[in-house]
Amino acid sequence: MKFYQNLLKAFAFTIFAISISCTKEAPELVDEQELITTVRLAIKGPNNSLQVVEWKMDNSNTNSIQLTPETEYEVTISIWDESDPLDIENITDEVKLEADEHQFFYEFSGVNVVLKTATTDVLDSQNNPLYVVSSWNTGAKGQGTVQVFLIHDPTTKTSTNRAGFGGATDVQVSFDIRIE
Amino acid sequence: MQGRVIDLHDGTPIYGAILRIESTGQFAQTNEDGIYQFKNVCSEEFRLIITHSECQTIERRIQLNTNQSVDFELEHHINTLEEIVLSEKQKGNVNKSVAEARLTTTQIDQYSSQSLANALGSIPGVTSLKTGNAIAKPMIHGMYGSRVGIVAEGIRLQDQEWGADHAPTVDLNAFESVQLVKGASALKYGGDTAGGVIILNPFNPLPRDSLYGKTRLTGSSNGRGGALSSQWILTRGTGFFFSGQLTAKRFGDFISPNYMLTNTGLKEGNFNFKIGRTKVVKGWEFIYSRFQNETGILRAAHIGNIQDLLRALQSNTPLVEGPFSYAIDAPKQQGVHHSIQAKIYNRFSEQNKWKIDYNYQRNQRKEFDIRRGGRADLPALDLQLQTHSILGSIQKKLGFDWSFEWGINGYFQDNYSNPDTGVKRLIPDYLKYQWGSFLTGKYEPNNLGSFEWGLRMDQVYWDVQKYYSLKDWTNRGYNRLFPDFEKVFLSTQLLTQPKFQFTTLSAHSGFSYQLSQVLKSTAAYILSQRSPNAAELFSDGLHHSLATIEFGNLTLEKETSHKFLVSFSSEINPFSFSFEPYLARIHNYIYIAPKEVQQTIRGAFPVWEYNATEALLWGFDIQGTLNISPQFDFNVKTSFVRIKDLFQNQPVISIPPLQTNQILSYIFPKNEVRIEIENQFVASQSFFPDFNVVVSTLEEGKVVDQLVDFSTPPKAYSVYNLNISLPLRITPTLSGNIRFMIQNVTQTSYRDYLNRMRFYSDEIGRNGTIQLILNH
Repeated sequence: MKFYQNLLKAFAFTIFAISISCTKEAPELVDEQELITTVRLAIKGPNNSLQVVEWKMDNSNTNSIQLTPETEYEVTISIWDESDPLDIENITDEVKLEADEHQFFYEFSGVNVVLKTATTDVLDSQNNPLYVVSSWNTGAKGQGTVQVFLIHDPTTKTSTNRAGFGGATDVQVSFDIRIE
Repeated sequence: MQGRVIDLHDGTPIYGAILRIESTGQFAQTNEDGIYQFKNVCSEEFRLIITHSECQTIERRIQLNTNQSVDFELEHHINTLEEIVLSEKQKGNVNKSVAEARLTTTQIDQYSSQSLANALGSIPGVTSLKTGNAIAKPMIHGMYGSRVGIVAEGIRLQDQEWGADHAPTVDLNAFESVQLVKGASALKYGGDTAGGVIILNPFNPLPRDSLYGKTRLTGSSNGRGGALSSQWILTRGTGFFFSGQLTAKRFGDFISPNYMLTNTGLKEGNFNFKIGRTKVVKGWEFIYSRFQNETGILRAAHIGNIQDLLRALQSNTPLVEGPFSYAIDAPKQQGVHHSIQAKIYNRFSEQNKWKIDYNYQRNQRKEFDIRRGGRADLPALDLQLQTHSILGSIQKKLGFDWSFEWGINGYFQDNYSNPDTGVKRLIPDYLKYQWGSFLTGKYEPNNLGSFEWGLRMDQVYWDVQKYYSLKDWTNRGYNRLFPDFEKVFLSTQLLTQPKFQFTTLSAHSGFSYQLSQVLKSTAAYILSQRSPNAAELFSDGLHHSLATIEFGNLTLEKETSHKFLVSFSSEINPFSFSFEPYLARIHNYIYIAPKEVQQTIRGAFPVWEYNATEALLWGFDIQGTLNISPQFDFNVKTSFVRIKDLFQNQPVISIPPLQTNQILSYIFPKNEVRIEIENQFVASQSFFPDFNVVVSTLEEGKVVDQLVDFSTPPKAYSVYNLNISLPLRITPTLSGNIRFMIQNVTQTSYRDYLNRMRFYSDEIGRNGTIQLILNH
């Protein structure tokens, strides 16, 4: 019986000890490593004219892209992590390094634009274009949108539409286009 | 008066038990089939004493109407150690007033290479919520996760049970029997399990010099893998015992009837050892167990956004398919579960006994996603959950018809979410304190009926530290509701320290009664209250396999369930059946449902948020057996459940559809070879909520609106299985079985509503298995 009482005391003490002995340190803030906050398109037209449009995570009011008919443009895409203004990271470099596992792509609607790779584009190990630098050839006047994709682990690298590439979408944003 | 005396654990007949009527001194002995018979019993009411040299003596008050049949269960193997009988672990029914089901040793053998949830699927009313083939969590009456408790070695298993894609980290092979109680009537282990409790019981050591054990070896064609499990038990006449058990499993990619399920392999390695001493008045045990697994998740199920899900839904085959491989790549899960336990009990007087269990569990869970920049080796989720539990109880008997148990139960839990993942924490760091106290009682005046009741109160205290994005914090109005939680403001983030306290009350009351010679019934009312779990309160993150963002809800309150369970069972040779209807009303029923579609830089995502509603649940489980001849048996089981959200006036998501399981078996009388043909029919769930969304996609330069239908359940299916079992008798001490099993004999292609991989692939195809079971 005495043994039993001692055990009850031990039991009560254990509960008590556990309840008071623990305080937890403040957790560290997670440094989100694969965050993409900004998609930037630098559109170079004739006479070295430059137009830059951006899609930002916190402010999705993007500018529309202004193009002229029957003209060739060179479009350079870059993606960024700007979550910490003191430590802005260019994610495009990471994607270029893993060219085999990634694919940038554009899909147009409502406007006639022909997408091709540009001479300064990055190629993967099979010489498929990554479309980091692409060439856009505009057709007739019109209004529409362009959807910008970054695809991770595409099932093929030679498709002509988004569905054909398969894979998981890492970026999908849309810009308005005016050709006039 | 006649009847049968059987072993409490496995239902085998007990030969040579003596039954004596106290008043008249008349006695009878059981034959090889455990059957006894009294002729010319005069009195209508008397006391019957049943004794057997290897079993505990039992005493029952009998009331006879006419020439009645009364069956008894004896606790085998225990002659001198009466107090073990008092211990809860193999005492038979946890609760007599609630229908209870048990897995037989044969069923545990059959599922040796599979998961606990798959094994429990053979019980009507139990289904599993799956993520692919290997990750399965048990579902009872349409409830899962925190509403279903798993008790191993007398202590609640503490793992991340709240995740829908998380299987219990426990090895079925380490246990000798599995009991399932529908409803929260096992108050000793908690009052929060409105669905039910699964109790895993280990072997009972015998007080004699012996070395014995069991080995199971399984090889399967589908997945080209298998499992080996072996257990050895050393016992001494002094009561000392030692046991060790080891399980290893390995499978490669599984295959559906038409294609490979790439990256669905798995690895598992478990062991446990146990040392202890059981003596007449006291005993102790020390247990260590370790469970470790790694499970691949279908490669094609790792998607980026809702448009990717639409593409997966539009394709009949997985969008990523490779050759067979044993490799397990991202996406995958890894788990390690340690458990250390010490138990001690003492019978301090003839009718009373106390016992204390202490247990420490450490559950580590890592999830790997496909990531950029060589980060696939870095887990995207890395949680460590540590729990100290203590359970102390006193059992008391008054006479032979009243028994009571009182106890206290404390938990201390510490969750740590590793920030090195580089991904926002899905579950925050927290400390959780819980204590509870229970009192249960049973009155069993005679063999005709018994009455039971129980009460339990718990208090839970949460101390959480979590970063919220400032935008989410204000959008949800938490800045107005919980200003006290705000601790440190950073540029875009806010460190908060939510503190919550919940007090819950649970109660149970029920009876069992013999209505007539052939009809037995039970009825119970169960009140259970559950405080919200960590995921329901705090989860915050992205699920790649469904392209959803999942949010917890700080405003949730405790959930209260009132459940009524009734059962009728009857045996009229050659037919036996049971019918178990139930009805529950759940106040503050916590569920997750899509709230809105959020535009992110990855495209569109449905945001799913936890919320509470008023729910009504009803259903029934039926079981019937027809002994066509001594060799031929036909068994049928059917279960049906429905849960309705009364606020939204719509069905609740992920509720199992109507299902029926039929088994026709034949035993060759000479060599006891047994052949079973099994058919499993699962209807299409017609009662489901519509959470579909419409997305815009581009088709040939035009914007087209398309419906992403992830709500409509798959079609009904019917699968045939074949089992052949041959008994082996090698030497008097070495016996066993060889079993040949074929699942999905007809290579049926089907998808299951409760499998989260149903959007991407069919279930697995034909699977041939050879199994060797040795009792040594």
